[in-house]
Amino acid sequence: MTGARSLARLLAAPALALPLAAAADPCGAELGAGATRAESARYVVAFAPTPAPVRVGRPFAIEAIVCPKGAAPAATGLRVDAHMPDHRHGMNYRATVAPAGGGRYRAEGLMLHMPGRWELVFDVETGMQVERAVRDVTPE
Amino acid sequence: MRRGARMRAVASLLATAALGGLAHAEDPGLAALEARKILLHGPWPQPVLPDRSNRASGDPDAVALGRSLFFDPRLSGDGTLSCATCHRPERAFTDARARARGRETLDRNTPTVLNLGLAHWFGWDGAADSLWLQSLKPIVHPAELAADAAHVARLVRDDPALACRYRRAFDSARLAGADPEPVLVDAGKAIAAFLETLESGRTPFDDFRDALARGDHAAAARYPAAARRGLAIFVGRGRCSFCHFGPAFTNGEFADVGIPYFAAPGRVDTGRHGGIRQLLADRRNLLGPYNDDASGASAGKTRHVVLQHRNFGEFKVPGLREVARTAPYMHDGRLATLRDVVRHYSELDASRLHADGERVLRPLRLSAQESDDLVAFLESLSAHVPTAAAPAPGAPDGDCPPAGSAR
Repeated sequence: MTGARSLARLLAAPALALPLAAAADPCGAELGAGATRAESARYVVAFAPTPAPVRVGRPFAIEAIVCPKGAAPAATGLRVDAHMPDHRHGMNYRATVAPAGGGRYRAEGLMLHMPGRWELVFDVETGMQVERAVRDVTPE
Repeated sequence: MRRGARMRAVASLLATAALGGLAHAEDPGLAALEARKILLHGPWPQPVLPDRSNRASGDPDAVALGRSLFFDPRLSGDGTLSCATCHRPERAFTDARARARGRETLDRNTPTVLNLGLAHWFGWDGAADSLWLQSLKPIVHPAELAADAAHVARLVRDDPALACRYRRAFDSARLAGADPEPVLVDAGKAIAAFLETLESGRTPFDDFRDALARGDHAAAARYPAAARRGLAIFVGRGRCSFCHFGPAFTNGEFADVGIPYFAAPGRVDTGRHGGIRQLLADRRNLLGPYNDDASGASAGKTRHVVLQHRNFGEFKVPGLREVARTAPYMHDGRLATLRDVVRHYSELDASRLHADGERVLRPLRLSAQESDDLVAFLESLSAHVPTAAAPAPGAPDGDCPPAGSAR
């Protein structure tokens, strides 16, 4: 997983993941009740897979919204990847991410080819810096 | 969607709905997690959805044309070989050889063509992203059928039965065109339409799995005890179902399972690594002009597949349905029996795997009894029923002349 190998370039960003419904932050509300979110120190990434739920061996896309926390600058880009830490491998595909304006992005080309725990990795770009948010996902 | 496929889709949805409470599928001999994993290997059969990249998918005329071409030795350059020379129906569409033999002996084993309507990559290395591309590649490969596009176009144009079916399924103007490649591609699409109809039958495992789903302990108890113990290894500590996942017992992707890479002294089979390179260089892939899917959605996997170092020596994870009928095994046919395959995984040489390889694989160190059980389970994945046969000579087909009438 190429994204995982560039950890040295990343800011230290503790990965937190909270259910959307439990947060007061409205980030991602437009994605609907099926949205989930991952957090880094300065950003919230709200996202929803399509189709949902994610299934083993089936391609899916992700609609994502990146929301800065407090005075953090707006994101300039987003990369999306996934890996399976227990097996030390990533996907067989590289997702492409297209900005849709207003902090919104669409990632296409994802596919989780094994059952078990995966990590969805969101690298939020802000100029020369990258901040990572991670969220566990277990395909059905 | 074809009528048959639509009906099966509905049946599958109903079955899936009936399994809504997977956790309730209790069996006295199975842990809940085990039962849940077992249920994921069904129901069977699965609906085969139309291939949007192939306008002929599900078309009865194309299926008839593809069936005729599949069994026709005139398709080969010298008129001696057909697809069915290696993909023999009576052997679950394999040939019992370690390595396939066309015009020359190839580096790889003949895989079955059953259940390909559920696949998303084709060939041991996935060098084809569609069933129709995979269907035409052996026709023009010099070591296999050794024909070319002009030969195929001439065959279809000059045979009244083939030409009649072609005109009903495809753009008849192509037959008179100067460029034979579109006709070759259409021949591949017709063969693919036929292959999509080939699915394996229900097996003793399916009966057990469905009995488990509906909580029918009496029916479940008819599944042999040895197969049941082998199944527990398969979904449990054997970790086989990580790759041999789902109703077809494959995740459709690729893995390095510790088989040596050398096809011959000094010659390496690079597997998936070479397959991706070949695919992306092929103008007939799904990103090219022959994809009939205007939406472009079917090309997503080709657009996003990424070449990685670990692809070196990876080969397609084969489905396991009818596996007892498809010996010998592995991509190069080096293992003669299912028992040999079980021994391979039991005594796996982890040093053959890439240093950054998957930790899924580890030597299983099975006892003799456990090996027997795993073999018993694998044998329960076969229906042992005849599948498609060659078209009957002289069979009428609407207003088209009988297949083979010009031979």
